[in-house]
This record gives sequence, structure tokens and C-alpha cells, in this order.
Amino acid sequence: MKNKLKVLRAERDWTQADLACQLDVTRQTINAIEKGKYDPSLPLAFKIAEVFGIPIEQIFSPANGESGP
Amino acid sequence: MNVSKDSSNLERGIKRSTREVFISTATWVASTALLTFGPQKWWDYDGLATGFAIGVNLLAGAMMLFAFFRLLKRMDELQRQTHLEAMALTLGVTMIFTVIYGSLPTVHLLSESHPTNTLFVMGITYILSVAGLWAARTSE
Repeated sequence: MKNKLKVLRAERDWTQADLACQLDVTRQTINAIEKGKYDPSLPLAFKIAEVFGIPIEQIFSPANGESGP
Repeated sequence: MNVSKDSSNLERGIKRSTREVFISTATWVASTALLTFGPQKWWDYDGLATGFAIGVNLLAGAMMLFAFFRLLKRMDELQRQTHLEAMALTLGVTMIFTVIYGSLPTVHLLSESHPTNTLFVMGITYILSVAGLWAARTSE
């Protein structure tokens, strides 16, 4: 799964620690999601969408080879 | 915007739970020592005293388990997944080691095997698994 977390975070001038604190996860978890090493659970993905104030599908999209919605 | 705090709710919760795990584990180790050495050194194999020591050991073990469950629940999802995968690895490695190690006396490669040695394998496998899996996912 691909995501635009890093871009969205940069647009708001948030650090990984800022976002982690809002989502109540570790900074390492944000780093792992941004680098595509970890796909967040659905509840966390929805929470991320809520924090950025945009629909979930504008943040996450299927990676090449994965079937889309 | 800067929403970072000195210590987030998550970090505070994990620190508190880790402290609980440490204290309950230390209590369990102490009660295990009491059960192991007490009958011979302190109460001359009195059945009632040994039964009490077993009860204390079971209670301390249960407290340690619940403390670890609480710690797992307080972790964030990546930490929890890392620990659960490490537990799966530990279970597999321990099972394989136990079968091989247990059969060594039968095939005359070892005079006797001590079941408690399995605990060392479990502990080392778990620590290495957590460290390895966490490093693989969070390396910068």
C-alpha cells in the first residue's frame, strides 16, 4: 500500500513526532508507515485521515500489483 | 505547529506498564527461588510450607502474566505486532529446540537434559526476535 503521509505532513510543517503524538503512536510507527514498511490498521488509517481532515482514499492507495477498491 | 509533549500518553502508559512487568517479574523470580531453595534450606521439606510456596509462586506468575498483557495492550499497533511475531518465532524455536534437546539423552549424546534450559532459549530468542523485527521495520 502506498501513502502520501510524508507529503501531507510536510505541507503542514509537522514533524513525525508531532503526528505520532496526535495519533498516540510512536514516532517509529509513523516512520515505518511513511517508508512503506508497515501498513496501518483500518482504525489507525481512519484516525490519520481525521487528523489531516481529508478522505482516507486521498492518503492511501493500493501499491502496484494490489487490487484497488 | 508543535504538538510534541515531553512525554506522550503512550510513552507514559508504556513506562508505567513496563515498571509493573519488571516488579511482577522480580516478584516471580524471588518466589521461584523461595520454592526452589526453601524446602531444603528453611523449612526442612514441610509439606504445608512447600504448598504455600507453590501458591505464592502461582500467584506471582499470574500477576506477571497479567502485567505483560497490560503492557501489550498499552503498546501502539506496530510495537504490538512486533511482539506478537516475536512470540510466534519464540514458540516455534522453543518447540524445535525442546524436541531435539529432549531426545539427546535417548540417543546418548547427552547424559541428561534439564527442562529449565528451555527458558534460556525462550528468553534469548524472544529478545533477539523483538530487536531484529523492530530494527527491520524502523531503521531510518
